[in-house]
Amino acid sequence: MTAQQKPLLDVQTVSMQFGGLRALSEVIFDVQQGEILALIGPNGAGKTTLLNIVSGALKPTSGTICLDGQPVDGLTADQINRQGIVRTFQAAEIFGSLTLRQNVMTGGVAGSAVTFVDGLLGWGRARRVDRELHARADEHLALVGLLDKADQLAASLPAGQQRLLGIARALATGPKVMLLDEPGAGLNSTEKKNLVEVVRRLRDSGKTIVLVEHDMQVIKQLADRIVVLDHGAVIGVGLPEEIQRNEAVVNAYLGSAGTIERNPAQTDTRSGEQLLALTGISVRYNGVQAVNDASLVVNKGEIVTIVGANGAGKSSLLKAIAGVVTPSSGEITLGGTALTGKTADERVSLGMSLTPEGRELFPSLSVYDNLILGRYAQLKGQNGLWGLVRMPAEAKAEMARRLEFCFGLFPILAERREQLAATLSGGQAQMLAIARSLMNDPTLLMLDEPSLGLAPQINEVIFQTMTELQAEGLTILLIEQNARAALQIANRGYVLVNGDIVATGNAADLLGDDQIASSYLGFGDQGDAEDSLMVNIQ
Amino acid sequence: MYRYLALIALLITSQLVGSNYVTNLLNIIGLFALPALGLALLMGYAGQISLGHAGFYGMGAFGSALLAMHTGISPWITIPVVAVLVGIFAWGIGWLVFRLRGHHLAMATLAFGIIVHVCLVEFRQLTGGPNGLPGIPVLSFFGTDLYSDTRIFPVIWIACILALIAAENLVRSPIGLFMRALGENERAAASLGIAPDSMKRSVMMLSGAFAGFAGGLYAHYIGYLSPGPFDVGMSIKLLIMVAIGGFTSIWGVLLGVAFVTLISEVLKPLGAYDILVFGAMLVFIIIYCPRGILFPITEMFTRIRVKQAPQADKTV
Repeated sequence: MTAQQKPLLDVQTVSMQFGGLRALSEVIFDVQQGEILALIGPNGAGKTTLLNIVSGALKPTSGTICLDGQPVDGLTADQINRQGIVRTFQAAEIFGSLTLRQNVMTGGVAGSAVTFVDGLLGWGRARRVDRELHARADEHLALVGLLDKADQLAASLPAGQQRLLGIARALATGPKVMLLDEPGAGLNSTEKKNLVEVVRRLRDSGKTIVLVEHDMQVIKQLADRIVVLDHGAVIGVGLPEEIQRNEAVVNAYLGSAGTIERNPAQTDTRSGEQLLALTGISVRYNGVQAVNDASLVVNKGEIVTIVGANGAGKSSLLKAIAGVVTPSSGEITLGGTALTGKTADERVSLGMSLTPEGRELFPSLSVYDNLILGRYAQLKGQNGLWGLVRMPAEAKAEMARRLEFCFGLFPILAERREQLAATLSGGQAQMLAIARSLMNDPTLLMLDEPSLGLAPQINEVIFQTMTELQAEGLTILLIEQNARAALQIANRGYVLVNGDIVATGNAADLLGDDQIASSYLGFGDQGDAEDSLMVNIQ
Repeated sequence: MYRYLALIALLITSQLVGSNYVTNLLNIIGLFALPALGLALLMGYAGQISLGHAGFYGMGAFGSALLAMHTGISPWITIPVVAVLVGIFAWGIGWLVFRLRGHHLAMATLAFGIIVHVCLVEFRQLTGGPNGLPGIPVLSFFGTDLYSDTRIFPVIWIACILALIAAENLVRSPIGLFMRALGENERAAASLGIAPDSMKRSVMMLSGAFAGFAGGLYAHYIGYLSPGPFDVGMSIKLLIMVAIGGFTSIWGVLLGVAFVTLISEVLKPLGAYDILVFGAMLVFIIIYCPRGILFPITEMFTRIRVKQAPQADKTV
């Protein structure tokens, strides 16, 4: 791409503030006519926020966005679309009750001259436009390879093809710039090849493309340039080879341990008894394989971490353990008891606790109320529903003990016990979420991305707390994107790539292995990286 | 096309063999079918709830009646003129309420319906309040007054058939696709250049005009108006008709209206308590037959039609 060319899309110092959270700070980049620009960054980097701003769903706090030299920020989503910027959605968001052809036809309606009155009259222009849209929809469907299914209902498509349909529908609006939001997420390798082919065809037909994507294989095959976002700021712009070597980018993806001290109990290998065992667990959503035949073991008293890039299937695995999703195959046992058929709250009363990603607090309740709710599932298991209404004396005493324990662990929560959870800062909210899952005195604590979106100092406190909890005898299963920090405190680790466990071993060994980085970032030939990792570590 | 021929054949047969009672029932069905069609476009297709459609119906009825009484203009003119005015008013209501969604929208439209009803009761000098408004001029056709059930019958049903044709044209047109896209996923629709609010207002306008037109016909057919019928109960009844029709089916609405009207006849001995049965029915339908209680029947109609005309793919 020649730099002297006037950019087609120009994002100038765009910032976005959500209350106290700065989601984007002075983001600057441009997109040249006819290029494919990849926008990457770890989870929570602000990619989706940026996409929402460029497509008009959000208004930026400051900054300007120009299309062909004309400012388009401040326009509504539909106006921006008519200016020539179209987006697709992560969840495809196709119209399930319409056929594929009708879905694509909707993309062309706004650009046609047909009016409401034309529609009521039914003949003349409405008929003619209908025929035109019909013919053009078929061309677009052919381009993404779905023409043979044109008359099916869109809801019947598997998720991968729904995304292709979303692309065809977006194409029908006649855009100059197409923003594709993770078109490759959850696709299998054949579908990904097809996707790459489709995006190339789009570019060859003269479209300019901004691609938000996690799969580096896809990006490597398509992108002319890459823009890397982290914590709302652009930390790198360049050719794929340059980005691959960029230290800041690698750190953004792998995280950093900062000053987190190495867990003193780390080398203690505790051959002890198995607490949690997964055998051959697979999770599928709507035909998309999220976790593939995963087996893992957590022994009593261990900290085990599952690390992997965004979309690797970490959360799905955790949800399967917690009983939020039902695995399509495999078995999970906790302390020898099979969990199959047990609901999420039954599992909680068996002694496992999940601190979910994004914390999921009850914002309109106080810190205190949030905490005592954390114990209710177990109380209900012990004393039945009536036990919640009239709590027996010993249950009350135990509740008080647990509260004291949690307040001892996070003194700041004691100070704020009457404050509404909504008013807490991100770090305090994360502490509350962890404390809430400790209220039922679990034998196994599972944490999903506890460091997400938090400042490094707060992360230190949270990771250090985990080692304290381990010293108290708690078993912890930790899911983290910040692999370096997680491996610093864990006993053992599992590396998840595209739903497969590709490596396992002592945390210290994994931490020292350079190839984790390449498998994580997905640069280099992935198949090879996976194979050599297996060889190296097992 | 077959459906229209079948409907017309049915209507003519009813006049040849039916009693006055049957004609009266068919008139009621026709007068409910118009606002129900409008509501189906709004709810079923554009995905926006309204619990205040009786308000538009009442405005059309009182508006046309008062205009005709005070100015002496023929009802042939006042009915459509007032329907257009009600449509414009509905557009304005849309401008106000479509910044809301879901439950909030339902509450706002419910409040609108209640406000209109209260106004009809309280503006005694104008509407006669609870005593009602007698002496509304009837429609006349070349000197023949259309005051009886059989004489007004063709007027009502010609209006209904025209509305059916217009509604069906609309949902089959690109604009109809647009509406369905909006009803299903507003965010995605906006990403395709569809201005959601302006589309909602247009549909609201049409929907209001349909209701206003039916109200006008009702006023000049009955010759006497009281605020009673135009309460929230009527809005709910319209909602049930649309739900029974399966929301996204123009012809389903007609069947829904017929079904509810006939059930109402059966429930007459219950008096005001019939609303209990309707409430229970609504809950039952929403939970167990989301595609409408008549879906199996509509499906059968469709299958027959597809058999007769295999190229027909525009099932709406």
